[in-house]
Amino acid sequence: MKKIVLLTLISILLTACNFDNSKDNVVNILNWSSYIPDVVIRDFEKETNIKVNYGTYSSNEELLAKISSAKEGTYDLIFPSDYMIELMKNRDLITTIDKSKLTNLNNINPNYLNLSYDYGNNYSLPFLAATVVIAVNTENIKDNITSYNDLLNPKYQNNIVLIDDQRIIIGMALLALGYDMNETDETKLKQAKEWLLKLKNNVKAFDSDSPKTFLISKEVDIGVLWNAEAAIAMEENSNIKTIYPNEGFALSIDNFAIPKGSKNQDNAYKFIDYILRPEVMQKIIESYPYKNVNKETDKLLDSNYLNNNAANISDKMIKNGILVKNIGSFVKDYDKVWAQIK
Amino acid sequence: MYKSLFQKIITIPIIIYALVLIAMPILYVLALSFLKSDAYGGIINEITLQNYIDIFDVVYLSVFLKSFIIAGIATFLCIIIAYPFAIFVSQKKPHIQKIMMVLVIAPFLTNSLIRMYGWIILLRKEGIINTFLQNIHLTDHPLQLMYNDLGIIIGLVYTLLPFMILPVYSAVSKVDKSILEAAKDLGANKIKTFTNIMLPQTASGLFNGSLMVFIPAIGYFFIVDILGGGKLMLLGNLIKNQFLTARNWPFGAAISIVLIIITFLLVKLYKKKGGNMDELGGF
Repeated sequence: MKKIVLLTLISILLTACNFDNSKDNVVNILNWSSYIPDVVIRDFEKETNIKVNYGTYSSNEELLAKISSAKEGTYDLIFPSDYMIELMKNRDLITTIDKSKLTNLNNINPNYLNLSYDYGNNYSLPFLAATVVIAVNTENIKDNITSYNDLLNPKYQNNIVLIDDQRIIIGMALLALGYDMNETDETKLKQAKEWLLKLKNNVKAFDSDSPKTFLISKEVDIGVLWNAEAAIAMEENSNIKTIYPNEGFALSIDNFAIPKGSKNQDNAYKFIDYILRPEVMQKIIESYPYKNVNKETDKLLDSNYLNNNAANISDKMIKNGILVKNIGSFVKDYDKVWAQIK
Repeated sequence: MYKSLFQKIITIPIIIYALVLIAMPILYVLALSFLKSDAYGGIINEITLQNYIDIFDVVYLSVFLKSFIIAGIATFLCIIIAYPFAIFVSQKKPHIQKIMMVLVIAPFLTNSLIRMYGWIILLRKEGIINTFLQNIHLTDHPLQLMYNDLGIIIGLVYTLLPFMILPVYSAVSKVDKSILEAAKDLGANKIKTFTNIMLPQTASGLFNGSLMVFIPAIGYFFIVDILGGGKLMLLGNLIKNQFLTARNWPFGAAISIVLIIITFLLVKLYKKKGGNMDELGGF
């Protein structure tokens, strides 16, 4: 008797593991954390009756790890940045986009189409743009900061927060030294390392999750961070100003992409099309003030966004933005520099 | 017969658990550590020892060294705090002892990440401790309590202290009180009683606790990121970076294997010194 009970229990446990939800009307989305407000997801679910399974990641490499190790067809829509699109295309992880399934395609600002990482936009469509900026609390910092090299001033000891991203921060050092942001030359990387070791005396913390908090809580007066983070800090404290350094700055464009083998592609297209609606994109931009790439949404956004130079970087200025490029195996050299400066 | 069959059946889940969730991942990591990574972060099926050779680069060896120093300091501080505490608790009435040990474990009910954020509120520039110290005029400027090595040590000692207290307490409470009394009667002073009786009899508990603190301390990357401001790279951070930023899974796997070997050697040493394996597993 006991055996029967036990066997039944085991079989229940085993069958319970093998659940199948392919019949459900779902879309499995993997997106950056803090990128789409919950209300947008809920509205989409209400309107379409499609259940959204929403997961998040905090770096392109984390996304890559998830996509390459999960079973094909686990995800239906992802948001890789520029260089990651190129890489995923090369590793055959994403599939082509059927533009005929999108009715709101023409809302996209053409400035952000046909870029180097995916000419012709066969695999990706732009969702948002982000830039790396310097934010300064002018209440305590009276100097006129215009360049990355100004951050080396010993006065700013323990007063700077940097995002915890090796490509961006080593890239910043390379720009400060007058080199290309995607430089792979060994001696130039060594110089970048020396530059960063000098800067480190001034660094209070590396933080990618919420560097704005350091500025808002006055833990530091200077931050090198993503533009939306700076924009929110500016709204919280009007003394905080945003600077676009002379040497140029990192630009990142996040895109819609559909992983290969996606089982709910139609739902993924419906979701993309929904996001491309001007009023939906407006909600997203108002919550997370990155650079909007939807030209119809631009007409709806209020002066709070439009006048914030961190959030709404001008088209003229964004030309100084530099894309992080895929540098292949040289990423190991960057990693070594990173281990040395920490 | 029936009983032994029943026993076999109930151990099946544990065997499956050990195979699927412990043995297989470690074998996978071991296999991975001998492979090559391509430029796009993929894995090439080509056997190489390069990942292990790369570890001997000065850059990475210094990460090992820094990790051992930080973990060593944290372990030492845990001993300093846990030992007197364990002796203190063991002298209380049994039910008080039970309550105190439950209180030691109680913080585990909250996620350790959330507890780290709690420490930020205490330690930051305009945080509770700094505000208090300035209000009572002990200092006129905020102290740097976090976003440096001090913050990391505070976080590690706080998180790992229970792992030291539990085995040390278990060892201390097993010491026969009558022997301590006999020592006193025979004229041994407190220091002599401690060095000749208490310490030798609790050494295995101390070593056990040190192992339980030292090894996790090497790998707790989130404490470095949150309380250390991400300014130091410990082995945990290095391994995490190989998987999540450098796209070099085989190298990350190789470092993990070296870490597993170090752990294994430490456990061997523990056994050789007469440590009890059962005590290492549970309390």
